[in-house]
Amino acid sequence: MISLNELMPALPEIVLACMGMILLMLGVFRGDGSTRSVSWIAVLVLIVVGVVLSSVQNGRMTAFGGQFVVDDFAHFMKWLIIIGSSFAILMSINFNERESIARFEYPVLILFATLGMFMMVSANDLISLYIGLELQSLSLYVVAAFRRDSLKSSEAGLKYFVLGALSSGMLLYGCSLVYGFAGTTSFEGLATLFKSLGGTGPSVGLVVGLVFLIAGLAFKVSAVPFHMWTPDVYEGAPTPVTAFFAVAPKIAAIALFIRVLVGPFGVLIADWQQVIVLISIASMVLGALAAIWQDNIKRLLAYSSIGNIGYALIGLATGTEAGIRGILVYMTIYLAMNVGTFCCVLAMRRTGRMVENIADLAGLARNQPLMALALAILMFSMAGIPPLAGFFGKLYIFLAAIEAGLYTLAIIGVLASVVGAFYYLRIIKIMYFDEPAEVFDRSMGREVRAILVGTTLFVTFFIVRPDIIVEGAGTAARMLLAG
Amino acid sequence: MIYVLAIFLPLVGATIAGLFGHWLKDKGAQIVTCGGLLLSATFSVIILNEVALKGEPQTIQIFSWIISGGFEVDWSLRFDTLTAVMLVVVTVVSCAVHFYSIGYMHHDPSVPRFFAYLSLFTFFMLMLVTANNFLQLFFGWEGVGLASYLLIGFWYEKPSANAAAIKAFLVNRVGDFGFALGILGVFLMYGSIDFDTVFNATPGKAAATMEFLGGTWHALTVLCLLLFIGAMGKSAQLGLHTWLPDAMEGPTPVSALIHAATMVTAGVFMVARLSPMFEYAPFALDVVCVVGASTAFFAATVGLVQNDIKRVIAYSTCSQLGYMFFACGVSAYAAGVFHLFTHAFFKALLFLGAGSVIHAMSSEQDMRHMGGIWSHIKLTYAMMWIGSLALAGLPFFAGFYSKDMVLEAAFAADSGVGFYAFWMGIIAAVMTAFYSWRLLFMTFHGEPRADEKTMAHVHESPKVMTIPLIVLSLGALFAGYIGYDAFVGTGMNEFWGKAIFVLPTNTAIIDAHHVPLWVKLLPIFVGLIGIGLAYYMYIMRTDMPAKVAAKCWKLYLFLYNKWYFDELYDKLFVQPANYIGRGLWKEGDGTLIDGLGPDGVASLVRNLAGRVSQLQSGYVYHYAFAMLIGVAGLVTLYLYTLG
Amino acid sequence: MDGLLREYLPILIFLGIAVGLALVIVTASYIVARQNPDPEKESPYECGFAPFNDARRQFDVRFYLVAILFIIFDLEVAFLFPWAVSLGSIGMLGFWSMMIFLGILTIGFIYEWKKGALEWE
Repeated sequence: MISLNELMPALPEIVLACMGMILLMLGVFRGDGSTRSVSWIAVLVLIVVGVVLSSVQNGRMTAFGGQFVVDDFAHFMKWLIIIGSSFAILMSINFNERESIARFEYPVLILFATLGMFMMVSANDLISLYIGLELQSLSLYVVAAFRRDSLKSSEAGLKYFVLGALSSGMLLYGCSLVYGFAGTTSFEGLATLFKSLGGTGPSVGLVVGLVFLIAGLAFKVSAVPFHMWTPDVYEGAPTPVTAFFAVAPKIAAIALFIRVLVGPFGVLIADWQQVIVLISIASMVLGALAAIWQDNIKRLLAYSSIGNIGYALIGLATGTEAGIRGILVYMTIYLAMNVGTFCCVLAMRRTGRMVENIADLAGLARNQPLMALALAILMFSMAGIPPLAGFFGKLYIFLAAIEAGLYTLAIIGVLASVVGAFYYLRIIKIMYFDEPAEVFDRSMGREVRAILVGTTLFVTFFIVRPDIIVEGAGTAARMLLAG
Repeated sequence: MIYVLAIFLPLVGATIAGLFGHWLKDKGAQIVTCGGLLLSATFSVIILNEVALKGEPQTIQIFSWIISGGFEVDWSLRFDTLTAVMLVVVTVVSCAVHFYSIGYMHHDPSVPRFFAYLSLFTFFMLMLVTANNFLQLFFGWEGVGLASYLLIGFWYEKPSANAAAIKAFLVNRVGDFGFALGILGVFLMYGSIDFDTVFNATPGKAAATMEFLGGTWHALTVLCLLLFIGAMGKSAQLGLHTWLPDAMEGPTPVSALIHAATMVTAGVFMVARLSPMFEYAPFALDVVCVVGASTAFFAATVGLVQNDIKRVIAYSTCSQLGYMFFACGVSAYAAGVFHLFTHAFFKALLFLGAGSVIHAMSSEQDMRHMGGIWSHIKLTYAMMWIGSLALAGLPFFAGFYSKDMVLEAAFAADSGVGFYAFWMGIIAAVMTAFYSWRLLFMTFHGEPRADEKTMAHVHESPKVMTIPLIVLSLGALFAGYIGYDAFVGTGMNEFWGKAIFVLPTNTAIIDAHHVPLWVKLLPIFVGLIGIGLAYYMYIMRTDMPAKVAAKCWKLYLFLYNKWYFDELYDKLFVQPANYIGRGLWKEGDGTLIDGLGPDGVASLVRNLAGRVSQLQSGYVYHYAFAMLIGVAGLVTLYLYTLG
Repeated sequence: MDGLLREYLPILIFLGIAVGLALVIVTASYIVARQNPDPEKESPYECGFAPFNDARRQFDVRFYLVAILFIIFDLEVAFLFPWAVSLGSIGMLGFWSMMIFLGILTIGFIYEWKKGALEWE
């Protein structure tokens, strides 16, 4: 008989699930007029979940018969996800109303997606991994196509769904191969098994299964060559959704990636390291190159996120504590930079219509100097220019790579970030030196402005107290490797 | 308190006039800067009284500037007699020039800017003379260089003014490079750049050697020569003098203040200030003496044939600076500074007088187009006479006391370089008198050579311009007489205190009082000869100059083209540098580095980026295909590397 | 290996019977039934659609909605069978798990009902 105490570690998830369903009922009985209140309640729920999360957090705990694990790593990642999700809801409130797609399902879907991500982050078994992943993905497919009457949005949702199904297939196939050759789906069981292998090494089937598993996960983090959906979906989906896509699911997926590879498969690092290195290089290079020709700022940010994942994967490739700490720091900063940038994209609106071309930013410095300044700071940070936060994100990653002896990877990373700096700086150049285009509507909305200011300040003043985040990340990484 | 105020009032004025000139308008800027200078000049006189006459040198520390390891620099103001003398010179002349400029510049559209620059210059100059360490000296040094650059190029729409400004800046860089090396060397040797520390340690380093340019040299000689290169640049000594005549492109008050009375004397000031070091480097002193004497001679010869009224005075300045240097070179620093002191008054007077003439002649500067105007502008005429008499060193004018002292000291030095300097100085004195009166006669006497319209317009300058002239003329008349005793006479030792250091064995300045009578009379005599010659050639036989020029046309051209220094430098440095620079730019940078480097890589990246973007076709089956290929590739890679 | 294959033997037998039965039925219809073809009878039959048409034509999405909803609840029933059979051995935990599952499903059902997905018009 299961006792309620055993469910305590999963309390945040339970709260989230219940509240999601309650909000669904609330919305469906009150109609679409309740969207605004449902959204705010959803944000409140996320905050409450965060509080619950921190209060139950106490070392490493498992639930559901070992299928579900909670540790400092999960705690750190879940907080990032909470922040990303609440920002996504806040940013959508005004936007959805203006675009007349204000439906109460949106915040509810975000909550369910968040629940799925929580499951992913806490997965301790191939089965719970898959359940979390699918719960997240199904919600995301729907929100991607949230603007039903827009061809692009529907196309984005459909593409994402079809390719997502393919990737899920690969993942499942990988899982079944691993199960078939290892005889267990539990991460702890797998870890014990691989440790007992000793010098003989894993069987080919097992590693092929692992490669399929990696492919499935790489799709979720949109690493090359499983990235193709990203630009189309980013462009097609409504902007707050794109902002959400760019942060929360990426964080959850990279967390899952870390948990799977460093956890049960940690012993086999020699086998998967080269795969990750290859994916990482391809992502960095493609992210840097392909963005150069983009006119659409959302597509550009899509390639930017591909490149950024490439950098994060460097940290994974090291498989060391420093590397994982680097990823955690990097993802935190990445979250702030991306959310801030998308706030600016949200403000690109002329006579009531969204514009998304980079050229539309021309001369922004003269029309809206403060917004231009914020965007310039974010772009400088993305380009990795000290003393902004983006620089430190890359710094920790590259340092970890050098410590682990992955010199080639570090050098290619630096080169790619030099090339990447081009298109970030180009945006600044357009804003500050080009002839001004027409003025944007001044209707950013309180929430969006607050988020923009907050993220910009974070990016600017990260240098003052980097230890807060770096130490948290360090603890999380240490616990993950110890557990 | 007045010590600090005297220094910083000009800065305050400059800041206010510079930043808020737009609101203050011309009048406001003038009141602020002129008022500041007037106060500053008053304070300076008080300071001179306290410091020099009562013998109370002071050092006022303002704050610690740089502390970096063993390198410590304070920001402090040093007030000793040398500083006090310079303070008075700078502030009084600057004050006169400020007031004069009110009249001279009143047509100009950017008056506040002009006054801001003037005051800024004054501040830097004061910074320079109150420096208590080498770095502060260098700060003031570069500051006046900047202000000079800004003022020469004040009429920036004139290409020649821009060119002159850049030239002045560049030539000064050559000198400053030596200066900076010298400062680094001082720090290397002494581990400090504080004046007192360095001076106190110098006797102990008298025999020290140092490695420089691959050889082992007497350290102090190397340091002093390097520092002297800096002085040569700033004081336009032979070799680095080419910028000074061109600097006349600036407004005339600027020429009077910067390029006659104050900034160009900074080199002399520096040598005097560093006398405790130069005294232990006899060879360096010889070099100073020879360079000074040669400059005095060279500049005077060029001055003989120039036609631009300001250029004549400019070469005269150059020549007089030579006098000051060779005085220093024979350890008669007091004489050098004395000449600096008197020269500041009469040379500023001459320049401002010339400015008044130019003002009267509707901006005409060529003396060939002047003449016969003395009756129209009598006051200016009188002022120019006073200035010229002082310059030529005729008895009882300021120049008489100082110039004679300089020449006597050179004679009394009783050394080879001393005699060289003495005779060069005498020859230069003849020429000085000649070109001064040539200037007077060509400008004021004879038939009017200007067109009628200009002639009809000739008028005396307003009071705001003539009163500064009169003030300066008082200096030109009496500065020598008043200062003689204190500067170089019997009161010398108490007056200077510890500001100037002379080895007991170097007695030129004392012996100068006991030279034979003919040495004392010779300068006056040659001065009269020069005047007579000028009178003969430009009043009695006005066809003579042309004949002489035709007869000795080679010499004439040689002098007229200033010994071909500019041409030589053009051939030696400018053209090769241009050639090399152009080559490096077009071929080296453009073709080689840009082509292979930034441009090449950039175009490669753009090319690749275009291809990568084309991969994104938009078809789901392409995407799916890419994913499957990716998985297949990864599995293959794995199996392949597994062996 | 043999053991593994032997485990699949029932499936092989099942396949054999199925193929055999199908053959018997089709052959029997040729032999036993009266053959009187006309164009209407020859045309392929599909429920709800005109038999020959462009595959890309629009049709009422409600068919699909109903079909999908049917499948969801059908699957849920499929879960109930093994649960019911093994309820005795999984005890209260099993019972409440299924109750929660059904509860969630009910919420979904309420949602679709309120959204009007079950109404044809």
